[in-house]
Amino acid sequence: MAEGTLRVHVVSPEKTVFEGEASALVAPAWDGMVGILPGHAPFLALVGVGALTVDLPGGGSETFQVAGGALKVLANKVTVLTEYAGSEPPEVIPVEAILHPEDVSVSAGNP
Amino acid sequence: MAGAREVRKRIKSVENTKQLTRTMELVATSKLKRATDRVYAARPYAGALDEIVRSLYSAELAERFPVLRRPTEMKRAAVLLLTANRGQAGAFNANLIREARHRLEELRAAGAETELHVAGRKGIQFFRFRGEPMETMRTDIGDAPTSEDAESLIGPLRDKFESGALDAVYLVSSEFRSAMSTPPRVRELLPIQPGETAASVDVFIMSPPGDHILGRLLPLYLRNAVYTSLVENAAAEQGSRRTAMKNATDNASEMLEYLTRSYNRARQAQITQEIAEIVGGAAGLE
Repeated sequence: MAEGTLRVHVVSPEKTVFEGEASALVAPAWDGMVGILPGHAPFLALVGVGALTVDLPGGGSETFQVAGGALKVLANKVTVLTEYAGSEPPEVIPVEAILHPEDVSVSAGNP
Repeated sequence: MAGAREVRKRIKSVENTKQLTRTMELVATSKLKRATDRVYAARPYAGALDEIVRSLYSAELAERFPVLRRPTEMKRAAVLLLTANRGQAGAFNANLIREARHRLEELRAAGAETELHVAGRKGIQFFRFRGEPMETMRTDIGDAPTSEDAESLIGPLRDKFESGALDAVYLVSSEFRSAMSTPPRVRELLPIQPGETAASVDVFIMSPPGDHILGRLLPLYLRNAVYTSLVENAAAEQGSRRTAMKNATDNASEMLEYLTRSYNRARQAQITQEIAEIVGGAAGLE
């Protein structure tokens, strides 16, 4: 495992939900959970619906419910853009922001 | 010179006005604070989304997504104007309305059909008075706009653009540079044109493939552009109102100073006259 910590930003359109250092991050991507550790390769994914957990460097963790948006990892900087972020799951899931795995034929690569 | 009593009446009236404008100034100041916080809170998301869309955007993809389509000729364009629901904000609404009219005239001069969408009571009142037809009229967007407000404004326009019924969508709103500087601005919302691709093209692992990510993010990008304009416009409105009300309060203070001076002079003149009469009367008795 690479040394160091991740610099994490979790932002929704209205506000910044979390900003700080983290030792690891587990996020709901469009097709399942993804775990990010320091030293991760550049990564770009759509965010699905579920719990986002940020492990803090000093131990302990913070959890947010997120729905839709995108996740970007570059040079130990993680940016999570989400349409919804809060302690409770969203009442209304922003359907237009969610991509279902069955809608994607990866081999063809067509929109 | 007016009599002392008339001047007193005017002083009272100006004092009342001053109190009113001063209160409105204070209300605008506190609303401005909250509105400005919202503007700054919205910036990290907008910046990060812009960055991602830019790194995904390429000319080949532009042909695959309807919102990126560049029409060859401009047949029909929509102008979306954001104004305030209330006045007493200096030239704020007037500036926005003028900007929208310029844009409409330019489009018509270029031979395009236009349609006008207005949010805010002030804009609606103006165009209704002028007899200008409006496609949609909205007065339900308050001081704290939400993403849903943005979606409800842009959703129908996006659908029309995608189906080819519109060739361009412009947004007229105020740019919030600072509380003192809020110039009106026209943004081309559709077709979406992401800025220059970042020079360093980082190689990302993408999940799902980039075109799918872009397909999901473009609607968010568009909605966010409208959302940031809504919050900036709300902050600009409060900023303009505060400035306008501060000027009005200052003018009232200045006027009070002048009126108080005239009042004292009138009073002094009256006393002097009375003394002169008494002295005169006394002299007559000797």
